[in-house]
Amino acid sequence: MLTVGDKLPSFRLRAAVSIEKGKEFAEIDDKSYEGKWLVLFAWPRDFTFVCPTEIAAFGKKNREFADRDAQVLGMSTDGHFVHAAWRRDHADLRDLPFPMLADDKRELSTALGILHKEEGVCLRATFIVDPKGVIRHVSVNDLDVGRNVDEVLRVLDALQTDELCPCNWQKGDETLKVA
Amino acid sequence: MSSIEAIRERIPEAARDLRLNLGAVLGESSLSETQRWGTAVACAYAARNPELTAAIVADAKAKVDEAVIDDARAAAALMGMNNVYYRFRHMIGKEAYQTKPARLRMQRIARPNGSKVDFELYCLAVSAINGCEMCLQSHEKVVVEGGLSDEQVHDAVRIAATIHGAAVALELDAGDRAAAELAA
Repeated sequence: MLTVGDKLPSFRLRAAVSIEKGKEFAEIDDKSYEGKWLVLFAWPRDFTFVCPTEIAAFGKKNREFADRDAQVLGMSTDGHFVHAAWRRDHADLRDLPFPMLADDKRELSTALGILHKEEGVCLRATFIVDPKGVIRHVSVNDLDVGRNVDEVLRVLDALQTDELCPCNWQKGDETLKVA
Repeated sequence: MSSIEAIRERIPEAARDLRLNLGAVLGESSLSETQRWGTAVACAYAARNPELTAAIVADAKAKVDEAVIDDARAAAALMGMNNVYYRFRHMIGKEAYQTKPARLRMQRIARPNGSKVDFELYCLAVSAINGCEMCLQSHEKVVVEGGLSDEQVHDAVRIAATIHGAAVALELDAGDRAAAELAA
């Protein structure tokens, strides 16, 4: 499994982005959100019970992620038509504000190393990737263990809050360079 | 008549000096037009008199881009936070607080729309209003290292001082009115 300091592998995947007719799908790659942080999280299978709860929780906090210049991306090994069907089927997923990536060829999940050894589906892995494409946080839960979205936000905050103000200066230090 | 001219006329007689200074500090100086109006807008927000802020922003919009005003707004708000937080650290001076991470977001400081040095100048002027010794020392060091002259720093602080004074001046009559209502 890839870890902190590794580069996010390049990818190009179909995604379910909406339930509106004609606007259901998009192609998304690792360059689609240049300059943004990415929060990429995976779940084992569509149409199961734990999944919509935590996916909806990411959806509810989407504004919090957006305010932190972060794009949320969900993914599983289900195809884009399955994602779209699940979105239409489940009330909590209908207005989901972020794309559901369809890694049905298992290329990205293999590259990330997050496939369950026997089941062959994604573990509940979460990656936070900085705007340079470097993985800055990884966490992974077994198939049945849901995630805490507030914890993901806390980690993102901690990664982003540098003391960037010259006020942080202490006598005798070099000052921050402005150029 | 510009909005600032209109508001200058509302400054009461006791503060006539401020009325005159407000005209003078925003005129030609060592500062570029961007630096002058960016500083003025940041200081107006920091001084927190809504009428004065409205007048300064209105006149600034005629002179500089929206991006400059946005930087000035960000400088006022962020320094509203940082001057309080770092002033605490500086005043107490205990190692224990110096070494704790602030865990406060200030991403905008690293990404101004315009020049980083100009943005730091607005921060310096706001720090003068908010009164933090070490914030002033550190921002002054940064802008001078970034190529600004003593003259420019001085002119920016003259703007800060005047706008802060003018904000107080505009509240003199409001204070009198409230006192009269209390007495009635």
